[in-house]
Amino acid sequence: MPEALHISGLVKRYPTGVEALKGVSLDIPQGEFFGLLGPNGAGKSTLIHCTTGLASPTSGQIEIFGHNAVNHYGEARALVGLAPQEPNLDHFLTLEETLDFHGGYFGMPKKDRRERSKELLDAFSLTDKRQERTRTLSGGMKRRLILARALMHRPELLILDEPTAGVDVELRLELWQYVKRINEEGTTILLTTHYLEEAEQLCGRMAFINGGEIVAEGTGPALAKQFGVSSLEDAYLELVGRKELSRAKIDEAIA
Amino acid sequence: MSVETAPREQPPAAPPPVPRRSGMSASQIRFFSLLRREVSRFMKIKRQTVGAPLLETFLYISVFGAALGSRIKTIEGIDYVTFVVPGLIMMALSVNAFSNNASSILQQKFQRAIDDQLSSPASPLELLLAFTFGGFLRGLLVALLTFLASAALIGIPIEHPLVLLPGLFLVGFFFAQLGVLVGVRAEQFDDVSFAQQFVLQPLIFLGGVFYSASLLTEPFETLTQFNPVHYMISLVRYGFLDFADASVVGSFAFLVVACAALFALNLRLFTTGYRLRA
Repeated sequence: MPEALHISGLVKRYPTGVEALKGVSLDIPQGEFFGLLGPNGAGKSTLIHCTTGLASPTSGQIEIFGHNAVNHYGEARALVGLAPQEPNLDHFLTLEETLDFHGGYFGMPKKDRRERSKELLDAFSLTDKRQERTRTLSGGMKRRLILARALMHRPELLILDEPTAGVDVELRLELWQYVKRINEEGTTILLTTHYLEEAEQLCGRMAFINGGEIVAEGTGPALAKQFGVSSLEDAYLELVGRKELSRAKIDEAIA
Repeated sequence: MSVETAPREQPPAAPPPVPRRSGMSASQIRFFSLLRREVSRFMKIKRQTVGAPLLETFLYISVFGAALGSRIKTIEGIDYVTFVVPGLIMMALSVNAFSNNASSILQQKFQRAIDDQLSSPASPLELLLAFTFGGFLRGLLVALLTFLASAALIGIPIEHPLVLLPGLFLVGFFFAQLGVLVGVRAEQFDDVSFAQQFVLQPLIFLGGVFYSASLLTEPFETLTQFNPVHYMISLVRYGFLDFADASVVGSFAFLVVACAALFALNLRLFTTGYRLRA
């Protein structure tokens, strides 16, 4: 059975000479909820962009359920849904059109698109707004629409790039519920986040990426153990070289 | 909430099966969805994308036809207003095909909305053709409306439909491709305006929309021979009025080669992801 995502020796060098990914290898089995954690500029988004075709890898291999993401991009991309970090909705389109066109780009027939978009608009409480243009939506609604759009073509692998960045607590919890359910229904999920609590709540396994390299991989407790600390947060602080910010150390200093 | 995901019993390694009840292949559905998106964009702002160009064309007809035409009377034995209209139709087609595609692509790059198309299974060819024909259809719509109104007002003949129709197709396709090229290369709206105002507009105006190149003195008559738009206007005018100031066969050959070259260049840009993919 092929991995949901298999990456080996992935290098991405930009024309400026910056090497954003330095030979990354990663395997995400089917059905897993996987977290990719790292500081800004670590290479998280570049990895996602290479996987979804928004960036061209310099070298290395990416396979999505066994389909090469570069040579057989059609088959590979059909299996992936991407909810990007920045809301990239087309301001000219209504919510219904946003979903309908997306489904069309993935080859879904009209009847299927109509049924699926209705189902998703209902599920994400956006039905009342379906005829409105996307620019009229609040930030939270845009987040929900982006997730709905990513799910429109029923992807097997859902990639969530910082899905809760800058959203309020209730929407964050609501989104957590959505994605947990989707994962329980069988969809493999790759999540990048800055919120370690989010990763601990949702992800089975996770990887730390820093400077374009995967530096550690495992469950939360395994990562903590690997860094010789007691929590995922402390492991992360070790990773970014800021262990002086550890809550335990701060509590100790205050005491 | 419950969102249905892919049925588990299907082998995950296979792409989601797509029923074919609509009779279209997945590739056709993709292409028409991409094209519908482009058409829906300009139809939503039709006052700007269709109304304004139409008004502009009628202002040209009024100024150059009615006002100036009362003094010039005829060119090469053709009533001046009648002589100008084919050029205006060609101008409407080309400017709208160009500006639609350049603006649409740049705007989507700015919003990163284009990522939705780029991360889909759509091939570079499907993407390129959809963007191309989006602008082409807008240009055709404005050109058709201009023709219908002109025909109703002053009665424009169509002397050679078998030259006119492929000629208009090639002109529209060429400028639609040019719009795609500029849109892909552009990094700011200034880049698009520069191409339109400082390159395209002068070439069109100096290509003979309002006059025949044969009326020019040297060196301007010779210089006009180096203006590619001159051949396009000549071809379209021949289709309408049976008057050409450049070889019809030569104009066709030039247009076919230019369209093929631009298309090949754009396809390469879409395949490599130049300024579209990181």
